[in-house]
Amino acid sequence: MKLLPSGRRSGRRTLTLVAAGCAAALTLAACSGGSSSGDSTGGGDAKNSSVTIAGNNGAMTENFNPFMAGTALAGTLGVIYEPLYYYNLASDQKPQPLLATGFSWNDDGTQLTITTRDGVKWSDGEPFSANDVAYTFNLLHDTPALNTSGLAATAKATDDHTVVLTFKGTSYMQEPSILGNQAIVPEHVWKNIADPTKDINKNPVGTGPYMFKSFTPQSYVLEKNPNYWEAGKPVIQQVRYISLDTADAASAALTAGQADWMSSFLPGLDQLLKGHQELSYVNTPALTTSVFTCSSTALGCKGPQTDPAVRQAIYYAMDRTQLNKLAGGGFAGEASPTLLLPDRDASWIADPANVTTPQSADTAKADQILDAAGWTKGSDGIRSKDGQKLSLTIQTVSGWSDYISINDTLKQQLKAVGIDLKPVQLAWNEWNANETNGTYQLSLDSIGLGASSNPYFTYEGKYDSANTAKVGESAAAGNSGRYSNPTVDKALATAGATNDEAVQKAQYAIVQQEVVKDMPYIPIYINSALTEFNNTRVTGWPTNDNKYAFAATWKAWDNGIVLKNLTPAK
Amino acid sequence: MKTLARRLGFYVVALWAAVSLNFLIPRLMPGNPVDIMLSKLAQHGPVTPATRQSIELLLGADSGEPLWKQYVEYLGQLLHGDLGISVSQYPTPVTTVIAQTLPWTIGLVGLATVVSFVLGVGLGTLAGWKRGSWLDSFIPVTTMFQSIPYFWLALILLYLFGSVWMISPLNGGYDVYDTMPGWNLPFIGSVISHGILPAATIVISSVGGWMLGMRNMMVSTLAEDYIVTAEAKGLRPGRVMRTYAARNAVLPSVAGFAISLGFVVAGSIVTESVFSYPGIGSALMGAVGSNDYALMQGIFLVITLSVLGANFVVDLLYAVIDPRTRQRG
Repeated sequence: MKLLPSGRRSGRRTLTLVAAGCAAALTLAACSGGSSSGDSTGGGDAKNSSVTIAGNNGAMTENFNPFMAGTALAGTLGVIYEPLYYYNLASDQKPQPLLATGFSWNDDGTQLTITTRDGVKWSDGEPFSANDVAYTFNLLHDTPALNTSGLAATAKATDDHTVVLTFKGTSYMQEPSILGNQAIVPEHVWKNIADPTKDINKNPVGTGPYMFKSFTPQSYVLEKNPNYWEAGKPVIQQVRYISLDTADAASAALTAGQADWMSSFLPGLDQLLKGHQELSYVNTPALTTSVFTCSSTALGCKGPQTDPAVRQAIYYAMDRTQLNKLAGGGFAGEASPTLLLPDRDASWIADPANVTTPQSADTAKADQILDAAGWTKGSDGIRSKDGQKLSLTIQTVSGWSDYISINDTLKQQLKAVGIDLKPVQLAWNEWNANETNGTYQLSLDSIGLGASSNPYFTYEGKYDSANTAKVGESAAAGNSGRYSNPTVDKALATAGATNDEAVQKAQYAIVQQEVVKDMPYIPIYINSALTEFNNTRVTGWPTNDNKYAFAATWKAWDNGIVLKNLTPAK
Repeated sequence: MKTLARRLGFYVVALWAAVSLNFLIPRLMPGNPVDIMLSKLAQHGPVTPATRQSIELLLGADSGEPLWKQYVEYLGQLLHGDLGISVSQYPTPVTTVIAQTLPWTIGLVGLATVVSFVLGVGLGTLAGWKRGSWLDSFIPVTTMFQSIPYFWLALILLYLFGSVWMISPLNGGYDVYDTMPGWNLPFIGSVISHGILPAATIVISSVGGWMLGMRNMMVSTLAEDYIVTAEAKGLRPGRVMRTYAARNAVLPSVAGFAISLGFVVAGSIVTESVFSYPGIGSALMGAVGSNDYALMQGIFLVITLSVLGANFVVDLLYAVIDPRTRQRG
């Protein structure tokens, strides 16, 4: 049982201590049913309406600095501050305009002209203009410590609602991080802040649907921004954030009506929902759990996994239905060998055969691949080639119970085709250091979210040889599989130099063809991302049929979109 | 005076050793804060070499410095009360995080430990004095509670009192919905009502040990000749029990109490995570989960100081209760 905090897997370990007890107590909670009241603040009335979001933030310290994506309090990005556009990573919908109403590139992709929205006011009543947008991007350009996206553009407001960003080279691929991943800050406030890299921004002034009201280390409150630009929104008066340490505490608070929104993996979710009609959930699988392999001998990787045939054999030999049942709780989604998300990205996958992975084991095919590659079975049932045993170590983090269970199940499944898998569990630090430095054979990890649903952001990070390094050096930029393929590099460079989707699609087809053959990251399934709601006081939450936003409480920009869509329950 | 100086000297050496280990251990662990932060950001969006550069600048990570120089700087910072900046809560200083969480822990776990000790020793004295009474047969019940894994007991009680009977709050240190922290009655009342259940779990699970220890010491002390003498002199039974028997029997328990006081900070982790209590244990859990070395070091330092401090106080106290431990020089 674990509570996924800010989308990072490291949070899982903190809960193992109480895991056994939680499971039992939760079952009890699920069995009891119908004991939810505690609804003291009442619903149905917009004037006193409030929504409570339960996160797992541990000890909270005041920080509303929108440039610190990693440590700013939840709600800073998306709820208090807004970007120019909103990118919904949970569906294939087009970016929605927020603070901008349009944009265009010049012919060689070096200038981006953005039209900003008129009639927007900051929460302190000052008018918003293109000058604020220009100020924000110039601040990033002049403060390397804040410039996490490596933005190399200077901005200039040509009039009150037009801003022009000028880049040094072709920069189409900066588009989502500029439009969708950067909070716009007010110039009249930030020009007086002495050191933006150290400031906690005590009284944030933003354009978002809510503004800061009060803070204590246990809970903080945002209230409706009366100046919000979208007419009639938001409806709910107040948003409260609380921090709960365990998934068990969070689910108890949810059923008791003390929290309305949380993102936790609850093994007994179906049962819990049966007993509580007012609860609902949405599943937004997005992170593909994969076996990362140290794939390149040229870069110094050692072991049988450097043979593509071995990686292919693992791909075919695993029984994903069983893995989902035993480790994924049955909530995991089907992955794609192209590392894209089949539901959202089907249009980007060139070959229909590559849309989803096989769900059951094909041991005949795996055997055939290994036989053809010269791996012969020994008397103990384990294959070997040139005196090297087909024995592989797979690492994961101690405490990630679902991943440990994947490894143990895989060990059994791969044995059938003569692969000897040795699971090891390491501390997060060591696991992470092994992966970035390439000192591993196989590693169980997940593929992160890109800046937009354009496959470029997954492919560039994971497959571009520019983002890898020799074994022993840090490949923190993403290509920890040490994948290096000139064909892929070339295709990515071409795709990155254009904003013509047809051209990009053709290039991605080349990438897909190569990586499906080489398989440096072997996809298993798409990890579930469960978010639970209490509909007693407010309604309008995303549903499995209508994912108008990525509903997880840790998903920065989407929080604002969800909150302004909520209405008091009747 | 000489005794005191010698004890003080010992504590200074112990403190130095603890502080140095505190410095060394995180540096022997694999991984560095920049890589850790990068891996975290990578879960949210694309990470480029530029991201690495910006994080290095932000955290001021300069790994080029030799270890001894870092050590000297670390000691210097400690002397100024500067514990560094927490990476997981950047840019908040570690001292702020500790100052914000420590009072909750000391208030809850500290009080519960004292209550448990006083209750256990008191009941143990009576049980030993009146052997075979109902109180004596109550001891196995309390030791049974102690043998139940603490988190399990806490979860069950939380479920019963919080979810089923709804007598006690489910989580937190106070009612965040209706009260504001400060010296006002609703807030103080809410702190007390939120603290009762967690404190009760600590008392229930630890009182048995004190009781059993005290009761057995009482029994053996009561067999001493001076007790017989005291009784023969015709002293009142209450006086014999308190001044003659209990005072001697309590000595081992006082030493145990010193150690358990020192572990108030460290031992609070499970309590705080079950009840989502906003104390230093939660902060330590968070720091470990996000590999925040600076915060971990700071909290370990507080733990070290509290263990040493509690021992020191009890060392002094011991000399008062038991004159034999004063060294003759």
